[in-house]
Amino acid sequence: MENAVVLDRLTKRFGRFTAVDEISLSVRTGEIFGFLGANGAGKTTAIRMLCGLLLPTSGSGSVAGFDIYRRSEQIKLNIGYMSQKFSLYGDLTGYENLWFYGSVYRIPAGSLKARIGELASSLELEEFIRRPARSLPTGWRQRLALAAALLHRPRILFLDEPTGGVDPVFRRRFWEILYRLADGGTTLFVTTHYMDEAEFCGRISIMHQGRIVAAGNPQELMRTYGQNNLQDTFVHLISRGGADA
Amino acid sequence: MVQTIAALIRKELLQIRRDRIMLRLIFIMPLVQLLVLGYAVSTDVKFIGMAVHDCDRSSLSREFVRSFSAGDYFIPRDSGLPLLEIERGFQENAYDAVLIIPPDFSKTLAAGGAARAGFIVDGTNANAAAISLGYAGIITAQFNGRTASREVPISLRQKVLYNPEGESIYFMVPGIIAVLLTMITVMLTAMAIVRERELGTLEQLVVTPISTPALILGKTIPFAILGFVEMSIALAFGVLWFKIPFAGSWPLLYALAFIFLFTTLGVGMFISTATRTQQQAMFFSWFFSIYTILTSGFFIPIANMPAAVQYLTYLNPLRYFMKIVRSRNASSSSCGR
Ligand SMILES: Nc1ncnc2c1ncn2[C@@H]1O[C@H](COP(=O)(O)OP(=O)(O)OP(=O)(O)O)[C@@H](O)[C@H]1O
Ligand SMILES: [Mg+2]
Repeated sequence: MENAVVLDRLTKRFGRFTAVDEISLSVRTGEIFGFLGANGAGKTTAIRMLCGLLLPTSGSGSVAGFDIYRRSEQIKLNIGYMSQKFSLYGDLTGYENLWFYGSVYRIPAGSLKARIGELASSLELEEFIRRPARSLPTGWRQRLALAAALLHRPRILFLDEPTGGVDPVFRRRFWEILYRLADGGTTLFVTTHYMDEAEFCGRISIMHQGRIVAAGNPQELMRTYGQNNLQDTFVHLISRGGADA
Repeated sequence: MVQTIAALIRKELLQIRRDRIMLRLIFIMPLVQLLVLGYAVSTDVKFIGMAVHDCDRSSLSREFVRSFSAGDYFIPRDSGLPLLEIERGFQENAYDAVLIIPPDFSKTLAAGGAARAGFIVDGTNANAAAISLGYAGIITAQFNGRTASREVPISLRQKVLYNPEGESIYFMVPGIIAVLLTMITVMLTAMAIVRERELGTLEQLVVTPISTPALILGKTIPFAILGFVEMSIALAFGVLWFKIPFAGSWPLLYALAFIFLFTTLGVGMFISTATRTQQQAMFFSWFFSIYTILTSGFFIPIANMPAAVQYLTYLNPLRYFMKIVRSRNASSSSCGR
Protein backbone atom coordinates (compact mmCIF):
# COMPACT_ATOMS: atom_id res chain seq x y z
CA MET A 1 0.00 0.00 0.00
CA GLU A 2 1.44 3.31 -1.16
CA ASN A 3 -0.48 5.83 0.94
CA ALA A 4 -1.28 5.49 4.63
CA VAL A 5 -3.67 8.43 4.70
CA VAL A 6 -5.57 9.95 1.78
CA LEU A 7 -7.98 12.85 2.20
CA ASP A 8 -10.12 14.40 -0.48
CA ARG A 9 -11.95 17.67 0.25
CA LEU A 10 -12.61 16.56 3.80
CA THR A 11 -14.87 19.05 5.60
CA LYS A 12 -16.25 19.45 9.11
CA ARG A 13 -18.80 22.06 10.09
CA PHE A 14 -20.03 22.76 13.60
CA GLY A 15 -23.33 24.48 12.94
CA ARG A 16 -22.44 27.36 10.63
CA PHE A 17 -18.78 27.36 11.59
CA THR A 18 -16.46 25.46 9.26
CA ALA A 19 -13.63 24.00 11.32
CA VAL A 20 -12.07 21.95 8.52
CA ASP A 21 -12.62 23.29 5.02
CA GLU A 22 -12.11 20.90 2.10
CA ILE A 23 -8.65 19.65 2.96
CA SER A 24 -6.96 17.21 0.61
CA LEU A 25 -3.64 15.50 1.28
CA SER A 26 -1.92 12.17 1.17
CA VAL A 27 0.62 10.68 3.54
CA ARG A 28 2.98 7.98 2.28
CA THR A 29 3.47 4.79 4.23
CA GLY A 30 6.45 5.03 6.54
CA GLU A 31 6.86 8.80 6.39
CA ILE A 32 6.80 11.35 9.19
CA PHE A 33 4.15 13.88 8.25
CA GLY A 34 4.05 17.19 10.10
CA PHE A 35 0.53 18.59 10.36
CA LEU A 36 1.14 22.22 11.24
CA GLY A 37 -1.17 25.16 11.74
CA ALA A 38 -2.12 28.07 13.95
CA ASN A 39 -4.24 27.63 17.06
CA GLY A 40 -7.80 26.82 16.07
CA ALA A 41 -6.76 25.98 12.49
CA GLY A 42 -8.64 22.69 12.69
CA LYS A 43 -5.80 20.18 13.18
CA THR A 44 -7.35 18.34 16.10
CA THR A 45 -10.72 18.27 14.37
CA ALA A 46 -9.14 16.74 11.25
CA ILE A 47 -7.28 14.09 13.26
CA ARG A 48 -10.43 13.21 15.17
CA MET A 49 -12.17 12.53 11.89
CA LEU A 50 -9.32 10.32 10.74
CA CYS A 51 -9.41 8.29 13.96
CA GLY A 52 -13.15 7.68 13.79
CA LEU A 53 -13.97 9.97 16.74
CA LEU A 54 -15.91 12.45 14.65
CA LEU A 55 -18.03 12.04 11.54
CA PRO A 56 -17.05 14.36 8.65
CA THR A 57 -19.65 16.68 7.17
CA SER A 58 -18.51 16.00 3.61
CA GLY A 59 -15.54 14.86 1.55
CA SER A 60 -13.86 11.50 1.67
CA GLY A 61 -10.86 9.90 3.24
CA SER A 62 -9.14 6.64 3.92
CA VAL A 63 -6.73 5.53 6.63
CA ALA A 64 -4.59 2.41 6.22
CA GLY A 65 -6.62 1.73 3.09
CA PHE A 66 -9.97 1.76 4.92
CA ASP A 67 -12.76 4.23 4.25
CA ILE A 68 -13.26 6.59 7.19
CA TYR A 69 -17.06 6.48 6.94
CA ARG A 70 -17.62 2.77 6.67
CA ARG A 71 -14.59 0.93 8.00
CA SER A 72 -13.78 2.74 11.22
CA GLU A 73 -13.59 -0.56 13.11
CA GLN A 74 -10.77 -1.71 10.82
CA ILE A 75 -9.09 1.65 11.10
CA LYS A 76 -9.13 1.46 14.88
CA LEU A 77 -7.24 -1.82 14.81
CA ASN A 78 -4.49 -0.26 12.71
CA ILE A 79 -3.92 3.11 14.31
CA GLY A 80 -2.57 4.49 17.52
CA TYR A 81 -3.75 7.86 18.81
CA MET A 82 -2.26 10.20 21.32
CA SER A 83 -4.66 13.04 22.01
CA GLN A 84 -3.65 16.63 22.64
CA LYS A 85 -4.95 16.40 26.18
CA PHE A 86 -3.51 13.68 28.41
CA SER A 87 -6.21 11.03 28.39
CA LEU A 88 -4.98 8.07 30.40
CA TYR A 89 -6.41 7.36 33.85
CA GLY A 90 -4.63 9.57 36.34
CA ASP A 91 -5.65 7.50 39.34
CA LEU A 92 -4.19 4.32 37.89
CA THR A 93 -0.49 3.58 37.64
CA GLY A 94 1.26 3.51 34.30
CA TYR A 95 1.36 -0.25 34.41
CA GLU A 96 -2.36 -0.50 35.15
CA ASN A 97 -3.13 1.88 32.31
CA LEU A 98 -1.02 -0.13 29.87
CA TRP A 99 -2.48 -3.40 31.08
CA PHE A 100 -5.98 -2.05 30.64
CA TYR A 101 -5.41 -0.76 27.11
CA GLY A 102 -3.53 -3.92 26.14
CA SER A 103 -6.53 -6.00 27.23
CA VAL A 104 -8.92 -3.73 25.36
CA TYR A 105 -6.78 -4.31 22.24
CA ARG A 106 -7.21 -8.01 22.97
CA ILE A 107 -3.53 -8.74 23.46
CA PRO A 108 -3.28 -12.11 25.28
CA ALA A 109 -2.11 -11.75 28.88
CA GLY A 110 1.16 -13.60 28.30
CA SER A 111 2.38 -11.49 25.40
CA LEU A 112 0.96 -8.31 26.94
CA LYS A 113 3.30 -8.62 29.89
CA ALA A 114 6.26 -8.97 27.58
CA ARG A 115 5.05 -6.11 25.38
CA ILE A 116 4.69 -3.74 28.34
CA GLY A 117 8.18 -4.66 29.53
CA GLU A 118 9.57 -4.04 26.07
CA LEU A 119 7.91 -0.64 25.70
CA ALA A 120 8.86 0.38 29.22
CA SER A 121 12.50 -0.28 28.51
CA SER A 122 12.60 1.28 25.03
CA LEU A 123 10.82 4.40 26.32
CA GLU A 124 12.88 4.34 29.56
CA LEU A 125 9.72 4.23 31.64
CA GLU A 126 10.63 1.44 34.07
CA GLU A 127 11.14 3.65 37.10
CA PHE A 128 7.88 5.47 36.63
CA ILE A 129 5.52 2.77 35.57
CA ARG A 130 4.39 1.91 39.11
CA ARG A 131 3.43 5.46 39.97
CA PRO A 132 -0.05 6.94 39.52
CA ALA A 133 -0.11 8.50 36.07
CA ARG A 134 -1.30 11.82 37.44
CA SER A 135 1.82 12.19 39.58
CA LEU A 136 4.23 11.91 36.63
CA PRO A 137 6.08 14.94 35.23
CA THR A 138 4.73 16.02 31.82
CA GLY A 139 7.56 14.46 29.83
CA TRP A 140 7.10 11.04 31.38
CA ARG A 141 3.37 11.31 31.10
CA GLN A 142 3.69 11.89 27.36
CA ARG A 143 5.94 8.87 27.03
CA LEU A 144 3.43 6.78 28.90
CA ALA A 145 0.70 7.98 26.55
CA LEU A 146 2.93 7.06 23.62
CA ALA A 147 3.48 3.59 25.10
CA ALA A 148 -0.29 3.14 25.41
CA ALA A 149 -0.75 4.15 21.78
CA LEU A 150 1.95 1.71 20.66
CA LEU A 151 0.87 -1.41 22.58
CA HIS A 152 -0.87 -3.08 19.66
CA ARG A 153 1.90 -2.18 17.15
CA PRO A 154 -0.22 0.16 15.02
CA ARG A 155 0.80 0.83 11.42
CA ILE A 156 -0.14 4.48 11.64
CA LEU A 157 0.34 6.72 14.63
CA PHE A 158 -1.58 9.98 15.10
CA LEU A 159 0.14 12.27 17.57
CA ASP A 160 -1.66 15.49 18.44
CA GLU A 161 0.93 17.84 19.93
CA PRO A 162 2.79 15.06 21.72
CA THR A 163 5.46 17.45 22.99
CA GLY A 164 3.25 20.28 24.23
CA GLY A 165 4.69 21.58 27.51
CA VAL A 166 7.73 19.30 27.35
CA ASP A 167 11.28 20.60 27.92
CA PRO A 168 13.81 20.74 25.02
CA VAL A 169 15.90 17.79 26.20
CA PHE A 170 12.84 15.65 26.55
CA ARG A 171 11.54 16.79 23.19
CA ARG A 172 14.78 15.81 21.49
CA ARG A 173 14.61 12.35 23.06
CA PHE A 174 10.95 11.99 22.20
CA TRP A 175 11.77 12.68 18.56
CA GLU A 176 14.55 10.12 18.61
CA ILE A 177 11.94 7.58 19.61
CA LEU A 178 9.67 8.73 16.79
CA TYR A 179 12.52 8.34 14.30
CA ARG A 180 13.14 4.81 15.47
CA LEU A 181 9.44 4.04 14.96
CA ALA A 182 9.50 5.50 11.45
CA ASP A 183 12.59 3.43 10.65
CA GLY A 184 10.58 0.41 11.75
CA GLY A 185 7.96 1.23 9.12
CA THR A 186 5.36 3.05 11.20
CA THR A 187 3.69 6.03 9.55
CA LEU A 188 3.62 9.10 11.79
CA PHE A 189 1.08 11.88 11.55
CA VAL A 190 2.23 14.56 13.98
CA THR A 191 0.97 18.01 14.90
CA THR A 192 3.29 20.46 16.58
CA HIS A 193 3.80 24.15 17.18
CA TYR A 194 7.60 23.75 17.38
CA MET A 195 9.30 24.55 14.09
CA ASP A 196 12.50 22.72 14.99
CA GLU A 197 10.40 19.59 15.26
CA ALA A 198 8.69 20.33 11.97
CA GLU A 199 12.09 20.34 10.29
CA PHE A 200 12.50 16.71 11.36
CA CYS A 201 9.47 15.78 9.25
CA GLY A 202 9.75 14.37 5.74
CA ARG A 203 6.81 16.48 4.62
CA ILE A 204 4.58 19.02 6.28
CA SER A 205 1.33 20.80 5.62
CA ILE A 206 0.38 24.16 7.09
CA MET A 207 -3.22 24.82 8.00
CA HIS A 208 -4.94 28.10 8.58
CA GLN A 209 -8.62 28.68 9.34
CA GLY A 210 -9.63 25.21 8.27
CA ARG A 211 -7.62 25.17 5.03
CA ILE A 212 -4.26 23.77 4.03
CA VAL A 213 -2.37 26.78 2.76
CA ALA A 214 0.85 24.98 1.82
CA ALA A 215 2.31 21.48 1.78
CA GLY A 216 5.61 19.88 0.90
CA ASN A 217 9.11 19.18 2.11
CA PRO A 218 10.16 21.75 4.75
CA GLN A 219 13.30 22.84 2.84
CA GLU A 220 11.34 23.17 -0.39
CA LEU A 221 8.70 25.28 1.29
CA MET A 222 11.34 27.65 2.69
CA ARG A 223 12.79 28.07 -0.80
CA THR A 224 9.39 28.50 -2.49
CA TYR A 225 8.38 31.30 -0.16
CA GLY A 226 11.89 32.84 -0.04
CA GLN A 227 12.33 32.52 3.72
CA ASN A 228 15.47 31.63 5.72
CA ASN A 229 13.85 29.34 8.20
CA LEU A 230 10.62 27.42 8.79
CA GLN A 231 9.44 29.79 11.50
CA ASP A 232 9.44 32.72 9.06
CA THR A 233 7.83 30.58 6.38
CA PHE A 234 5.04 29.65 8.80
CA VAL A 235 4.47 33.24 9.93
CA HIS A 236 4.58 34.45 6.30
CA LEU A 237 1.97 31.88 5.22
CA ILE A 238 -0.33 32.43 8.17
CA SER A 239 -0.31 36.21 7.93
CA ARG A 240 -0.79 36.05 4.16
CA GLY A 241 -3.63 33.54 4.68
CA GLY A 242 -5.11 35.91 7.26
CA ALA A 243 -5.08 38.76 4.73
CA ASP A 244 -6.86 36.53 2.23
CA ALA A 245 -9.64 35.63 4.59
CA MET B 1 -15.52 -9.35 24.04
CA VAL B 2 -15.13 -11.19 27.33
CA GLN B 3 -11.55 -10.02 27.75
CA THR B 4 -12.55 -6.44 27.02
CA ILE B 5 -15.45 -6.50 29.47
CA ALA B 6 -13.29 -8.13 32.14
CA ALA B 7 -10.63 -5.45 31.61
CA LEU B 8 -13.22 -2.70 32.00
CA ILE B 9 -14.68 -4.23 35.15
CA ARG B 10 -11.23 -4.62 36.65
CA LYS B 11 -10.33 -1.05 35.81
CA GLU B 12 -13.59 0.33 37.15
CA LEU B 13 -13.28 -1.53 40.48
CA LEU B 14 -9.64 -0.52 40.76
CA GLN B 15 -10.59 3.13 40.32
CA ILE B 16 -13.27 2.91 42.97
CA ARG B 17 -10.82 1.25 45.33
CA ARG B 18 -8.39 4.14 44.83
CA ASP B 19 -11.03 6.73 45.58
CA ARG B 20 -11.16 7.09 49.37
CA ILE B 21 -14.16 9.40 49.38
CA MET B 22 -16.09 7.15 47.07
CA LEU B 23 -15.30 4.12 49.20
CA ARG B 24 -16.60 5.90 52.25
CA LEU B 25 -19.70 6.93 50.40
CA ILE B 26 -20.36 3.39 49.29
CA PHE B 27 -19.62 1.46 52.45
CA ILE B 28 -20.01 3.76 55.42
CA MET B 29 -22.99 5.77 54.29
CA PRO B 30 -25.36 2.77 54.31
CA LEU B 31 -24.42 1.89 57.87
CA VAL B 32 -24.88 5.47 59.05
CA GLN B 33 -28.16 5.72 57.22
CA LEU B 34 -29.40 2.43 58.65
CA LEU B 35 -28.46 3.46 62.18
CA VAL B 36 -29.91 6.94 62.00
CA LEU B 37 -33.12 6.06 60.20
CA GLY B 38 -33.46 2.74 61.97
CA TYR B 39 -33.35 4.31 65.40
CA ALA B 40 -35.18 7.49 64.45
CA VAL B 41 -38.34 5.45 64.11
CA SER B 42 -38.12 3.76 67.47
CA THR B 43 -38.42 6.64 69.94
CA ASP B 44 -40.71 6.63 72.96
CA VAL B 45 -44.37 7.11 72.24
CA LYS B 46 -46.51 8.74 74.95
CA PHE B 47 -49.55 10.98 75.35
CA ILE B 48 -51.37 9.52 72.39
CA GLY B 49 -54.57 11.41 71.70
CA MET B 50 -57.39 8.88 71.75
CA ALA B 51 -60.96 9.59 70.73
CA VAL B 52 -63.55 7.54 72.55
CA HIS B 53 -66.85 6.36 71.13
CA ASP B 54 -68.59 4.85 74.07
CA CYS B 55 -71.92 3.66 72.74
CA ASP B 56 -72.57 1.58 75.82
CA ARG B 57 -72.23 4.30 78.46
CA SER B 58 -72.29 1.83 81.32
CA SER B 59 -70.10 1.91 84.43
CA LEU B 60 -68.13 -1.00 83.05
CA SER B 61 -67.41 0.71 79.77
CA ARG B 62 -66.38 3.88 81.61
CA GLU B 63 -64.05 1.85 83.76
CA PHE B 64 -62.56 0.26 80.66
CA VAL B 65 -61.96 3.72 79.14
CA ARG B 66 -60.46 5.00 82.37
CA SER B 67 -57.96 2.17 82.41
CA PHE B 68 -56.55 3.61 79.19
CA SER B 69 -55.59 6.86 80.87
CA ALA B 70 -53.34 5.19 83.41
CA GLY B 71 -49.64 5.66 82.84
CA ASP B 72 -49.75 8.68 80.50
CA TYR B 73 -49.88 6.57 77.39
CA PHE B 74 -53.29 7.59 76.16
CA ILE B 75 -55.28 10.76 76.60
CA PRO B 76 -58.89 9.72 76.12
CA ARG B 77 -61.27 12.41 74.97
CA ASP B 78 -64.62 12.66 73.28
CA SER B 79 -64.14 12.85 69.56
CA GLY B 80 -67.15 15.04 68.93
CA LEU B 81 -67.42 13.47 65.52
CA PRO B 82 -69.97 10.95 64.34
CA LEU B 83 -68.66 7.42 64.27
CA LEU B 84 -68.66 7.30 60.46
CA GLU B 85 -66.37 10.32 60.21
CA ILE B 86 -63.61 9.26 62.55
CA GLU B 87 -61.14 9.33 59.65
CA ARG B 88 -61.56 13.10 59.53
CA GLY B 89 -60.01 13.29 62.99
CA PHE B 90 -56.97 11.40 61.73
CA GLN B 91 -56.66 13.69 58.75
CA GLU B 92 -56.98 16.80 60.90
CA ASN B 93 -54.54 15.32 63.41
CA ALA B 94 -57.14 15.72 66.18
CA TYR B 95 -56.12 12.33 67.58
CA ASP B 96 -54.07 9.29 66.59
CA ALA B 97 -56.24 6.50 67.94
CA VAL B 98 -59.90 5.70 68.39
CA LEU B 99 -61.50 3.39 70.92
CA ILE B 100 -64.96 2.13 70.01
CA ILE B 101 -67.17 0.43 72.55
CA PRO B 102 -70.29 -1.16 71.04
CA PRO B 103 -73.73 -0.64 72.69
CA ASP B 104 -73.97 -4.24 73.87
CA PHE B 105 -70.60 -4.17 75.62
CA SER B 106 -71.66 -4.53 79.25
CA LYS B 107 -74.74 -6.56 78.44
CA THR B 108 -72.66 -9.20 76.65
CA LEU B 109 -70.20 -9.31 79.49
CA ALA B 110 -72.94 -9.61 82.06
CA ALA B 111 -74.45 -12.46 80.09
CA GLY B 112 -71.07 -14.21 80.20
CA GLY B 113 -70.35 -13.65 76.49
CA ALA B 114 -67.19 -12.37 74.85
CA ALA B 115 -67.47 -8.61 74.58
CA ARG B 116 -65.67 -6.75 71.85
CA ALA B 117 -64.18 -3.33 71.58
CA GLY B 118 -62.64 -1.66 68.56
CA PHE B 119 -59.29 0.07 68.50
CA ILE B 120 -58.18 2.00 65.39
CA VAL B 121 -54.85 3.77 64.99
CA ASP B 122 -53.52 6.15 62.38
CA GLY B 123 -50.80 4.18 60.68
CA THR B 124 -49.15 7.15 58.94
CA ASN B 125 -46.53 7.05 61.62
CA ALA B 126 -45.97 3.33 61.46
CA ASN B 127 -43.86 3.25 64.54
CA ALA B 128 -46.22 5.17 66.80
CA ALA B 129 -49.09 3.09 65.50
CA ALA B 130 -47.38 -0.17 66.30
CA ILE B 131 -46.53 1.01 69.80
CA SER B 132 -50.07 2.25 70.45
CA LEU B 133 -51.36 -1.15 69.47
CA GLY B 134 -49.00 -2.76 71.90
CA TYR B 135 -50.11 -0.54 74.77
CA ALA B 136 -53.76 -1.08 73.99
CA GLY B 137 -53.26 -4.82 73.98
CA ILE B 138 -51.53 -4.75 77.35
CA ILE B 139 -54.12 -2.44 78.91
CA THR B 140 -56.91 -4.72 77.77
CA ALA B 141 -55.14 -7.77 79.11
CA GLN B 142 -54.66 -6.05 82.48
CA PHE B 143 -58.27 -5.00 82.56
CA ASN B 144 -59.26 -8.59 81.89
CA GLY B 145 -56.94 -9.72 84.67
CA ARG B 146 -58.46 -7.30 87.19
CA THR B 147 -61.93 -8.53 86.45
CA ALA B 148 -60.76 -12.10 86.24
CA SER B 149 -63.98 -13.47 87.64
CA ARG B 150 -65.28 -13.43 84.09
CA GLU B 151 -64.59 -16.55 82.13
CA VAL B 152 -64.73 -14.91 78.73
CA PRO B 153 -62.69 -11.72 78.63
CA ILE B 154 -62.98 -8.70 76.42
CA SER B 155 -61.30 -9.19 73.13
CA LEU B 156 -59.88 -6.12 71.51
CA ARG B 157 -60.28 -6.00 67.76
CA GLN B 158 -57.54 -3.87 66.39
CA LYS B 159 -57.18 -2.19 63.03
CA VAL B 160 -54.47 -0.01 61.57
CA LEU B 161 -55.66 2.48 59.02
CA TYR B 162 -53.46 3.57 56.11
CA ASN B 163 -50.48 1.44 56.91
CA PRO B 164 -51.79 -1.94 57.88
CA GLU B 165 -48.38 -3.59 57.72
CA GLY B 166 -46.95 -0.96 60.04
CA GLU B 167 -43.92 -2.39 61.79
CA SER B 168 -41.47 0.21 62.85
CA ILE B 169 -37.93 -1.08 62.57
CA TYR B 170 -38.82 -4.27 60.78
CA PHE B 171 -40.54 -2.14 58.25
CA MET B 172 -38.05 0.70 57.92
CA VAL B 173 -34.78 -1.19 57.71
CA PRO B 174 -35.64 -3.29 54.64
CA GLY B 175 -37.00 -0.12 53.08
CA ILE B 176 -33.72 1.68 53.69
CA ILE B 177 -31.90 -1.20 52.05
CA ALA B 178 -34.01 -0.80 48.92
CA VAL B 179 -33.44 2.96 48.92
CA LEU B 180 -29.69 2.57 49.29
CA LEU B 181 -29.53 0.06 46.48
CA THR B 182 -31.40 2.47 44.22
CA MET B 183 -29.31 5.50 45.05
CA ILE B 184 -25.93 3.84 44.83
CA THR B 185 -26.53 2.05 41.56
CA VAL B 186 -28.22 4.96 39.78
CA MET B 187 -25.59 7.46 40.82
CA LEU B 188 -22.52 5.36 40.18
CA THR B 189 -23.71 4.29 36.74
CA ALA B 190 -24.79 7.82 35.91
CA MET B 191 -21.21 8.94 36.51
CA ALA B 192 -19.65 6.05 34.61
CA ILE B 193 -19.53 7.44 31.08
CA VAL B 194 -19.92 11.15 31.65
CA ARG B 195 -16.98 11.22 34.04
CA GLU B 196 -14.71 9.82 31.37
CA ARG B 197 -16.15 12.22 28.83
CA GLU B 198 -15.42 15.15 31.10
CA LEU B 199 -11.91 13.99 31.97
CA GLY B 200 -11.14 13.29 28.30
CA THR B 201 -10.34 9.62 28.88
CA LEU B 202 -13.36 8.54 26.87
CA GLU B 203 -11.63 9.76 23.72
CA GLN B 204 -8.76 7.34 24.21
CA LEU B 205 -11.22 4.54 24.88
CA VAL B 206 -13.27 5.24 21.77
CA VAL B 207 -10.26 5.00 19.42
CA THR B 208 -9.77 1.41 20.55
CA PRO B 209 -11.73 -1.32 18.78
CA ILE B 210 -14.02 -1.66 21.81
CA SER B 211 -17.64 -2.34 20.81
CA THR B 212 -20.56 -0.40 22.20
CA PRO B 213 -22.19 -3.42 23.92
CA ALA B 214 -18.85 -4.28 25.53
CA LEU B 215 -18.44 -0.70 26.72
CA ILE B 216 -21.93 -0.59 28.20
CA LEU B 217 -21.62 -3.99 29.88
CA GLY B 218 -18.16 -3.16 31.19
CA LYS B 219 -19.56 0.07 32.59
CA THR B 220 -22.60 -1.44 34.32
CA ILE B 221 -21.48 -4.82 35.64
CA PRO B 222 -19.07 -3.27 38.20
CA PHE B 223 -21.92 -1.25 39.67
CA ALA B 224 -24.21 -4.26 39.76
CA ILE B 225 -21.50 -6.03 41.74
CA LEU B 226 -21.18 -3.06 44.09
CA GLY B 227 -24.95 -2.95 44.45
CA PHE B 228 -24.99 -6.55 45.61
CA VAL B 229 -22.12 -5.99 48.00
CA GLU B 230 -23.90 -2.96 49.40
CA MET B 231 -27.17 -4.83 49.75
CA SER B 232 -25.45 -7.72 51.50
CA ILE B 233 -23.75 -5.43 53.99
CA ALA B 234 -27.03 -3.70 54.75
CA LEU B 235 -28.91 -6.99 55.04
CA ALA B 236 -26.31 -8.47 57.32
CA PHE B 237 -26.51 -5.35 59.45
CA GLY B 238 -30.27 -5.53 59.53
CA VAL B 239 -30.35 -9.17 60.54
CA LEU B 240 -27.43 -9.15 62.98
CA TRP B 241 -27.82 -5.73 64.56
CA PHE B 242 -31.50 -4.92 64.28
CA LYS B 243 -32.41 -8.60 64.63
CA ILE B 244 -34.88 -8.48 61.80
CA PRO B 245 -36.42 -11.91 61.45
CA PHE B 246 -35.88 -13.10 57.92
CA ALA B 247 -38.47 -15.57 56.82
CA GLY B 248 -38.14 -15.56 53.05
CA SER B 249 -35.70 -17.18 50.67
CA TRP B 250 -32.30 -15.59 50.20
CA PRO B 251 -31.80 -16.79 46.61
CA LEU B 252 -35.21 -15.43 45.66
CA LEU B 253 -34.47 -12.07 47.26
CA TYR B 254 -31.19 -11.79 45.36
CA ALA B 255 -32.78 -12.92 42.12
CA LEU B 256 -35.48 -10.28 42.45
CA ALA B 257 -32.87 -7.67 43.37
CA PHE B 258 -30.99 -8.65 40.22
CA ILE B 259 -34.09 -7.96 38.14
CA PHE B 260 -34.61 -4.68 39.96
CA LEU B 261 -31.02 -3.63 39.23
CA PHE B 262 -31.71 -3.70 35.51
CA THR B 263 -33.99 -0.71 35.99
CA THR B 264 -31.60 1.39 38.08
CA LEU B 265 -28.52 0.53 36.04
CA GLY B 266 -30.45 1.24 32.85
CA VAL B 267 -31.57 4.63 34.09
CA GLY B 268 -28.04 5.41 35.29
CA MET B 269 -26.56 4.46 31.94
CA PHE B 270 -29.15 6.56 30.14
CA ILE B 271 -28.32 9.58 32.30
CA SER B 272 -24.63 9.02 31.76
CA THR B 273 -24.88 9.01 27.98
CA ALA B 274 -27.41 11.81 27.74
CA THR B 275 -25.52 14.36 29.85
CA ARG B 276 -22.38 16.36 29.11
CA THR B 277 -21.02 16.99 32.59
CA GLN B 278 -20.87 15.15 35.89
CA GLN B 279 -22.83 17.97 37.46
CA GLN B 280 -25.73 17.43 35.09
CA ALA B 281 -25.58 13.70 35.69
CA MET B 282 -25.63 14.24 39.45
CA PHE B 283 -28.63 16.52 39.15
CA PHE B 284 -30.58 14.06 37.04
CA SER B 285 -29.81 11.10 39.26
CA TRP B 286 -30.88 13.06 42.33
CA PHE B 287 -34.08 14.03 40.63
CA PHE B 288 -34.73 10.44 39.62
CA SER B 289 -33.84 9.04 43.05
CA ILE B 290 -36.01 11.47 44.96
CA TYR B 291 -38.99 10.91 42.71
CA THR B 292 -38.47 7.16 42.93
CA ILE B 293 -38.13 7.10 46.69
CA LEU B 294 -41.07 9.41 47.36
CA THR B 295 -43.45 7.43 45.18
CA SER B 296 -42.24 4.02 46.32
CA GLY B 297 -44.22 3.93 49.54
CA PHE B 298 -41.01 4.15 51.57
CA PHE B 299 -42.16 7.02 53.82
CA ILE B 300 -45.70 7.65 52.70
CA PRO B 301 -47.94 4.67 52.10
CA ILE B 302 -49.10 4.57 48.49
CA ALA B 303 -52.71 4.19 49.62
CA ASN B 304 -52.39 7.63 51.21
CA MET B 305 -51.53 9.34 47.95
CA PRO B 306 -53.98 11.07 45.62
CA ALA B 307 -55.42 8.70 43.02
CA ALA B 308 -53.50 10.26 40.13
CA VAL B 309 -50.20 9.88 41.95
CA GLN B 310 -51.10 6.32 42.84
CA TYR B 311 -51.29 5.51 39.14
CA LEU B 312 -47.94 7.22 38.64
CA THR B 313 -46.35 4.89 41.17
CA TYR B 314 -46.98 1.96 38.86
CA LEU B 315 -44.18 3.40 36.69
CA ASN B 316 -41.79 3.26 39.59
CA PRO B 317 -39.68 0.12 39.77
CA LEU B 318 -38.76 0.80 43.39
CA ARG B 319 -42.44 0.58 44.34
CA TYR B 320 -42.36 -3.12 43.53
CA PHE B 321 -38.97 -3.79 45.02
CA MET B 322 -39.97 -1.96 48.20
CA LYS B 323 -42.88 -4.31 48.52
CA ILE B 324 -40.62 -7.28 47.89
CA VAL B 325 -38.01 -6.45 50.54
CA ARG B 326 -40.60 -5.49 53.10
CA SER B 327 -42.69 -8.59 52.66
CA ARG B 328 -39.70 -10.89 52.48
CA ASN B 329 -38.34 -9.58 55.70
CA ALA B 330 -41.39 -8.60 57.62
CA SER B 331 -43.67 -11.50 56.84
CA SER B 332 -42.83 -13.57 59.87
CA SER B 333 -42.94 -10.77 62.39
CA SER B 334 -46.05 -8.89 61.36
CA CYS B 335 -48.47 -11.73 61.90
CA GLY B 336 -47.77 -11.51 65.64
CA ARG B 337 -50.22 -8.64 65.90
N1 LIG C 1 -17.18 20.23 19.05
C1 LIG C 1 -16.99 21.47 18.58
N2 LIG C 1 -18.04 22.31 18.42
C2 LIG C 1 -17.87 23.56 17.94
N3 LIG C 1 -16.69 24.05 17.57
C3 LIG C 1 -15.61 23.25 17.68
C4 LIG C 1 -15.71 21.93 18.19
N4 LIG C 1 -14.47 21.37 18.19
C5 LIG C 1 -13.65 22.32 17.69
N5 LIG C 1 -14.32 23.44 17.39
C6 LIG C 1 -13.77 24.65 16.82
O1 LIG C 1 -13.09 24.31 15.64
C7 LIG C 1 -11.92 25.10 15.49
C8 LIG C 1 -10.73 24.19 15.26
O2 LIG C 1 -10.42 23.52 16.46
P1 LIG C 1 -9.24 22.49 16.58
O3 LIG C 1 -9.22 22.01 17.96
O4 LIG C 1 -9.36 21.49 15.50
O5 LIG C 1 -7.98 23.42 16.30
P2 LIG C 1 -6.46 23.04 16.42
O6 LIG C 1 -5.86 23.33 15.09
O7 LIG C 1 -6.27 21.69 16.94
O8 LIG C 1 -5.96 24.12 17.45
P3 LIG C 1 -4.84 24.02 18.60
O9 LIG C 1 -3.53 24.28 17.96
O10 LIG C 1 -5.21 25.09 19.55
O11 LIG C 1 -4.94 22.66 19.19
C9 LIG C 1 -11.79 25.93 16.75
O12 LIG C 1 -12.25 27.24 16.45
C10 LIG C 1 -12.70 25.27 17.72
O13 LIG C 1 -13.26 26.21 18.58
MG1 LIG D 1 -5.48 20.87 18.60
